[in-house]
Amino acid sequence: MPADTNTTESDTVDDSLEVTPDTQLPNATAPEVVFDVADLSVYYGAFRAVRDVNVEINKYEITAFIGPSGCGKTTVLRCFNRMNDLIESARVEGKVTYHGVDLYDRAVNPVEVRRRIGMVFQKPNPFPKSIYENVAYGPKIAGMKGNMDDIVERALRAAGLWDEVKSRLKASGMGLSGGQQQRLCIARAIATDPEVLLMDEPCSALDPIATARIEDLMQEIKSKYTIVIVTHNMQQAARVSDRTAFFTTEVNPESDTRTGLLVECDTTDMIFSNPGDERTENYITGRFG
Amino acid sequence: MSSPPVEPMRHGFRDELEQLRLQVELMGVRVDENLERMREVLRTGDIALAEMATEADNEIDAMNVSLTERCYLLLSRESPVASDLRFIVSVLRIVSEFERVGDLALRVVKLAPKHEVLARSEVLFDILVTIGDEAVDSYRVALRAWSAQDLGMATELATGNRSLDLYYERLTAELQRLDGVDAVPIAMAAFAAGRSLERIADHSAIIGARLRYLITGEPAHLAAEVR
Repeated sequence: MPADTNTTESDTVDDSLEVTPDTQLPNATAPEVVFDVADLSVYYGAFRAVRDVNVEINKYEITAFIGPSGCGKTTVLRCFNRMNDLIESARVEGKVTYHGVDLYDRAVNPVEVRRRIGMVFQKPNPFPKSIYENVAYGPKIAGMKGNMDDIVERALRAAGLWDEVKSRLKASGMGLSGGQQQRLCIARAIATDPEVLLMDEPCSALDPIATARIEDLMQEIKSKYTIVIVTHNMQQAARVSDRTAFFTTEVNPESDTRTGLLVECDTTDMIFSNPGDERTENYITGRFG
Repeated sequence: MSSPPVEPMRHGFRDELEQLRLQVELMGVRVDENLERMREVLRTGDIALAEMATEADNEIDAMNVSLTERCYLLLSRESPVASDLRFIVSVLRIVSEFERVGDLALRVVKLAPKHEVLARSEVLFDILVTIGDEAVDSYRVALRAWSAQDLGMATELATGNRSLDLYYERLTAELQRLDGVDAVPIAMAAFAAGRSLERIADHSAIIGARLRYLITGEPAHLAAEVR
């Protein structure tokens, strides 16, 4: 072969044009799975609210559940700490394992489940007690050892609220602003040292600045907690989460009711740049509704 | 079981994206017209036509600015995601490729006063005209691929124009063979023209790669660049 075969090579189009979709970086270490959901269906009486959900929740990741109203995202979230147990007609089919243990096994104590898996709700719901007692309540009930003042301070600091309330810990939690109340609820949820935080539209009642503070907080605490968040705000899902699960609804023609189902779960980057399913694309681009 | 009835939404945004697609096409057509002028100026050295091409390039530059601003506005206003985001980002990158092709055409056009020098070597001149034809052909495929958002054409482009490469190699070989008193001025003009024409084909290939990304969403196609 003549030595000058490549003389014009550097002036031509980069060979990387030829990179094929098969060209991929080596796999990083697979993340640890906290929840493994297999063929999960939830019924309220005869009504099937959500069907056949299969999804994994990875440790120290933020997983966002998005989808239209009635798609079952909150229903699935509530399965993770057995909140559906509190609804008499609710029935769960399929399997939800937590670190390999069947969450719905008879031997599993729902109270212990809820200590390990904290929940933050849509509307901030502080107890009508002092800021201090709001945070101390959970650890006391759980019989946590150690200096309660330290536990309260640690939780309030982790929730980014300490500096704002340290001089008025005895004041009522109800007197805080909406955003502060929500951070108080986060402090309350993490005071019992859970592993997982479930957040059900935690910012829907907050203004944009309070929302941004909660989102920042989620980023700060995700190195210690596994977070699952249900949100109607797709930009929020895109901003804060590592993985996104998209749910949608289907119509049951006989009963004219709607059942939710999981369409796909993938990295948030992928869902918001190149989703695998047309239904996801239509929803996130707002093309159809 | 069936999906619930859905209705198309965000009509205004959809219309704006469609308008944007058409206006990018229009910009591409303006570049195409200038490439045709370039080809004629290369063949004939027509100074008046060269001036017309220079004027037309100002319009192409203005379209680049205005379409870029439109993209920024849509990004800030509509928070596009998925294929909408890929579309707007691809428009931003493709209009700059169109603009670059226009500039390269202008470089060739500006050689009009040297037409007589270029035409002195018949062999070189024939090769140059052929490279010009090949480059314009590549660009036309790019423009058609954009109009039709056609993955097949985009892929064809992105894999390069082999015959143009061969002509360019021949051009380089012929340049080295030049001798005589006017060898240097001929070589300089022919090299300048040949290089610009070859790069027009390169940028057309890049448009193909940008389109492949737009259509498939496959990030590997983002790697393409002109070195």
